[in-house]
Amino acid sequence: MSSVSLVAGANAPVPKEALTIEVLLNPQQLSGVEVDISAFLLTASGKVRGDDDMVFYGQPRPGNGAVALKTSSAGRAEFEVNLTTLPSTIEKIAFTATIYENRQTFGAFQALTVTVKNAAQQAVIDSNLPANGMKESALILGELYLRQGQWKYRAVGQGFAGGLKPLAEHFGIEVSDPAPSPAVTPKAAPAPVPQPAPVPKPISLTKITLDKSKPTVSLDKKPEGFGEIKINLNWNRDNAGQPAPKKSGGLLGGLFGGSRSGGIDLDVGCLYELQNGTVSAIQALGNRFGSFNHDPYIELQGDDRTGAITEGEWLRINGKHWTHFKRILIYAFIYEGVPNWAQTDGVVTIYVPNEAPLEIRLTEGSSSLGMCATVLLENINGALKVNREVRYFRGHQDMDKAYHWGLRWTSGSK
Amino acid sequence: MAVSLQKGGNVSLTKEAPGLTNVIVGLGWDTRQTDGAGFDLDASVFMLGENGKVLSDASFIFYNNKKSPDGSVEHLGDNRSGEGEGDDEQVKLNLATMPADVKKIVFSVTIYDADTRKQNFGQVSNAYIRLVNEADNKEIARYDLSEDASVETAMLFGEVYRHNAEWKFKAVGQGFAGGLGAMAASMGVNLG
Repeated sequence: MSSVSLVAGANAPVPKEALTIEVLLNPQQLSGVEVDISAFLLTASGKVRGDDDMVFYGQPRPGNGAVALKTSSAGRAEFEVNLTTLPSTIEKIAFTATIYENRQTFGAFQALTVTVKNAAQQAVIDSNLPANGMKESALILGELYLRQGQWKYRAVGQGFAGGLKPLAEHFGIEVSDPAPSPAVTPKAAPAPVPQPAPVPKPISLTKITLDKSKPTVSLDKKPEGFGEIKINLNWNRDNAGQPAPKKSGGLLGGLFGGSRSGGIDLDVGCLYELQNGTVSAIQALGNRFGSFNHDPYIELQGDDRTGAITEGEWLRINGKHWTHFKRILIYAFIYEGVPNWAQTDGVVTIYVPNEAPLEIRLTEGSSSLGMCATVLLENINGALKVNREVRYFRGHQDMDKAYHWGLRWTSGSK
Repeated sequence: MAVSLQKGGNVSLTKEAPGLTNVIVGLGWDTRQTDGAGFDLDASVFMLGENGKVLSDASFIFYNNKKSPDGSVEHLGDNRSGEGEGDDEQVKLNLATMPADVKKIVFSVTIYDADTRKQNFGQVSNAYIRLVNEADNKEIARYDLSEDASVETAMLFGEVYRHNAEWKFKAVGQGFAGGLGAMAASMGVNLG
């Protein structure tokens, strides 16, 4: 089967099966430019039904997983789209590329290529969108759509100079403005007002980086709890010699960057303390995986020892039960491989529903210390206080001592 | 209920709307929602004789020549952006006064300045042509050609033609390379 080449505006039929959509930028990387590639599931009206219809770095596999962002690295992304399991109200899936914080336009690139592969992984459609002269910083690359019972793909190549915000609004997503800086302006105390019913906050697309200058974020108490708090640890497994480019904010590159070779096995884990004084730990070492739906309401999802799972390691906290926790210390430690934090370029990202992802980079590591206490979550009268720690220790014992957790540690292996 | 045509399909106007004389041919498309130069689509009409050529240069009705000499074809004006409800451009036909040597009236739409703006019909959403009976304002036939249009910048949308004693309408949906100029030349218009 040969592949059909489409120019912008052209369309061609695709088989109704599990497809792979590959997006490739040329050049793959530009200095200082981070590109996020996302997909939007749209109804006949051209709008999303809700937040679950956005497939992006903060939510790679929402809903029933019919559309999933499988891999995403600098300048390349791959979606799995299963047209047979797609909800029947979804009639269009738009694939988009956006430049983080509008720092550039797509005119800086030469071309953007989309390849549609069938279930047998054979390319059936390719579209090469010349980017030269583009003024947009958010683009609809193409769309899969249903037309009289037939699924088709159309190369689009249109977008918005204003970036992600107008693009998301085009698809019916309300976008909140970037979170205000935490700097406090002295204000007269407001008169107490009756608390209005909580209004669902529009989805936030802004990533917040906790760094030395701004180490803390506090999320207000919610009567219904915080939902599923997801904590991701990812790192650059490519330790072939060139350090990953330094990036400020953004997930691409550092998070997903580099090839998957190399021998670093970075593990995520946490120490927790409950309101009733119970202390323990969740980590792969010692097979302490916990449970999301039962006590302790923290679960470690698998252990990526091979580096095959490109999205790294996930720790899930059941935020519905946030009141039951006192504090949780998230840590990353090097189980195998040389402790070289600069090269590992680890990043911990915390996803709280309806909040901007919080990103903490594991920088400034001393090469001899294999343990990094990364971030401390504290229950302050029901609010969720997130504090960047990034303190390095020789191992569990030292870290435990420094934070006065009081667990007894013995050596183990997995 | 209007007849919805597929590419190549036709319908007898005489049968669908007995006694039909005044027809409004409406052309529409969605305004551009993304950034960049807007889509300016221009409707043009060719009144063709038996040989498939215009009767005269004056039977090429477009934005600079809005009315045929006999008055039976009239272009109601240019909409520059596709904004607003309903048809974006309309052409009025009077079948009763149509000269007997007019065998076919061809409706085309071209994208203004398509090459510079790098635009084609595949980028325009919801383009259609429809025929409305002016007497009762009822839609007789519609052809939604968004899907049949792709990389073209000039298209023959449809044609109203004589078939024995009937008037019929055919959904054409055919692209035309070279834009309005080439299209006009192929139909025998002498371009200055």
